[in-house]
Amino acid sequence: MTTAQASTPRSTPPAQPTEADKQLLQFAQGVELAARDLYKKAVESGKYADDELAMLTLFGEHHNSYAQAMNGLIGKAATNTRNESLYSSHVGQLASAQSAYASLQALENTLAATNTDILGQLAGIDGARILASIITIEARMGAVFGTLPSLSVTSALNAGANSLAPKIAQATVASTETTVAP
Amino acid sequence: MNNISRRDALRVGGLSVFGAAFLAACGKQSGVVPSANILSEGVATPTTAIPEGVVTDAVLLRTAASIEYNAIDLYNLILNDSMLTGDYAKLTDAVKRFRDNHQTHADTVNALAVSLGGKAHTCANARMNSLYIDPALKLVTEKGNPDTSRDIVALVHAMENIGVQTYQGFVATLTSPTLRADAMRIASAEARHAVVLAQVLNGGYASVGPTINETTGKPNIASVPAAFGSLSTVLLSVGTPNSDNLKPTLTFETPSLNGLIYDFVDCQ
Repeated sequence: MTTAQASTPRSTPPAQPTEADKQLLQFAQGVELAARDLYKKAVESGKYADDELAMLTLFGEHHNSYAQAMNGLIGKAATNTRNESLYSSHVGQLASAQSAYASLQALENTLAATNTDILGQLAGIDGARILASIITIEARMGAVFGTLPSLSVTSALNAGANSLAPKIAQATVASTETTVAP
Repeated sequence: MNNISRRDALRVGGLSVFGAAFLAACGKQSGVVPSANILSEGVATPTTAIPEGVVTDAVLLRTAASIEYNAIDLYNLILNDSMLTGDYAKLTDAVKRFRDNHQTHADTVNALAVSLGGKAHTCANARMNSLYIDPALKLVTEKGNPDTSRDIVALVHAMENIGVQTYQGFVATLTSPTLRADAMRIASAEARHAVVLAQVLNGGYASVGPTINETTGKPNIASVPAAFGSLSTVLLSVGTPNSDNLKPTLTFETPSLNGLIYDFVDCQ
């Protein structure tokens, strides 16, 4: 078998986001901005220092990068506003360090589940590629809260979270095939 | 004016006749089957063309199943050969759990492949074994390696990352959005395995993000190695350290087109 022999006899999906994709990615951007702001709140709380603080800062920066990546994908359709519902459901739990970690772990698991559901609706490959690269890191960040400050395999593997993703149907694409009369 | 004697003319004529006879003897021989090969002696063995590999969703899912079996085999090896000793023995239950998770993942992707008209693939990817896992195991288990337990954990950590990257890479090729999401659900679970193993190998808050080993100049094992999931190579340092206390480094990659489990590939 040589690489030259392999072929892909499939229809090519669109690269750019469709209109439905843009709405889905808009939603994804909103939850990423909520996560960014929640980490910012944790970092500014004064409860963390040194390496722990650096880790939380890093995670917040990652979510900011994801929101920026959505901007790149959807351009003018981006709203750049955080998902207020997600933000308010977690912000109160950042008061103590113990509940903060449980809350941030639940947040990461929610984001991973939400983005996976969104990925399952995207038609455009560019958005799918970026979202896939985000999902694996959000799963990792969620697992980190199960391993620190002490390792719990059960907690680290716990991915239980409800997806927040909206269901947005793709517009039916008109066929470009033509029939030639005999 | 050249003078050619009658004797010279006869000599040249004789040589021409001999040369023609010699060349004729080197040509087609009676009873010998013509071969397409040039400069071959005798009859060439007939060749069978390799079937053309077509990359379909089922092929990608079968390939994912093969990678799951690579991981299952590795975890079984760890358990059967009691490779976790000292502090690493505490990981035994986690290893069993990870192996069982990979079996579930293999069953899931095989079921999806079958639903698409493909065949289930229930053995490891032979190319991944020969290119990466076998050479790494040779280094891990060689006499004189003082860190067999640590190194076998590093090897399964590398394979967990390869699993994650395989699914992530397939997202761009799978034709159905729902299949892409299914792939990433499995990738997420394996990313969580990788974090547990990363924390065992290089634990603590300072090791969560990317860091560089000052001695080797290579990246340390990290729980969250980058902001976005990488599709680049995975480095693995295992084996007996040299005089500078450096272990040999291997480079792992996800299956290329030559490593896919096409429809015509069966378990040996």
